[in-house]
Amino acid sequence: MTAKDKLFKMAKGFRGRSKNCYRIAKQSVEKALQYAYRDRKQKKRDMRSLWIQRVNAGSKEHGVPYSKLIYGLHNQNVQINRKMLSELAMYEPYSFKALVDQVKWMRGDAAQPAAQQAAQM
Amino acid sequence: MGPDLWNRTYYPSGSEASPLIKPWYLVDAEGQTLGRLATMVAMHLRGKTVATYQPSMDMGAYVVIVNAEKVVVSGNKSTQKVYTRHTGRPGSRKEETFQKLQARIPERIVELAVRGMLPKGRLGRHLFTHLKVYKGAAHPHSAQKPADITAKINKNAATAVAA
Repeated sequence: MTAKDKLFKMAKGFRGRSKNCYRIAKQSVEKALQYAYRDRKQKKRDMRSLWIQRVNAGSKEHGVPYSKLIYGLHNQNVQINRKMLSELAMYEPYSFKALVDQVKWMRGDAAQPAAQQAAQM
Repeated sequence: MGPDLWNRTYYPSGSEASPLIKPWYLVDAEGQTLGRLATMVAMHLRGKTVATYQPSMDMGAYVVIVNAEKVVVSGNKSTQKVYTRHTGRPGSRKEETFQKLQARIPERIVELAVRGMLPKGRLGRHLFTHLKVYKGAAHPHSAQKPADITAKINKNAATAVAA
């Protein structure tokens, strides 16, 4: 496999002459590789941002905004990360609600959750 | 480069964006402040109130706004807020104050406010089609039984969302 073959392999799916003509493809592929390098780092940021938006939506449904939720969880030493919180909010709504109730209790807005009362006894 | 094997974050399937399962919401604009109303509506249209939010897909809801001609702006905006448009030809800049536009085409005021808060692009334009604005209290969507969410408008920034 020659170097040119490798280049055209990486240029598959590009628009117009960028996939067929060597000089143009070379520039497009170089740019694509630069973007890939940059975005491997950005992907981690973007994913976290998405988890935060999802947790925010989920906890606002229960009346607690994201900032107060994270503060409350941090105070009670709940170290569940945002990725898992977002998955909980989607797949395990009752568990997520229990976490939100825990935070509400800490802030003095609601009575102590039953499970915690049982645990303390 | 290949698929990302370590990213198992949930990505909704196409069927979850199907219009058949989207909820419908109703907002009564009578006496509501324009911007505060539009913010809430845009959040619902975009899908940001749902835990399955995905920015590249339409996970939002349908929103019906009634009594659009009774929407309110604070301060002197009623006489001073200007809506401008331009046809592209030189010298054809037209402007209209809030009052005049509300008398002429009240739905447009709410539509412009919400459209400015939605993303601009193919998806944003598609989301905008889920907004239905009506003058007066009647709307033709009673079959969808839209749920009333007027109470969720954030009236005053100082009093935060229910802590």
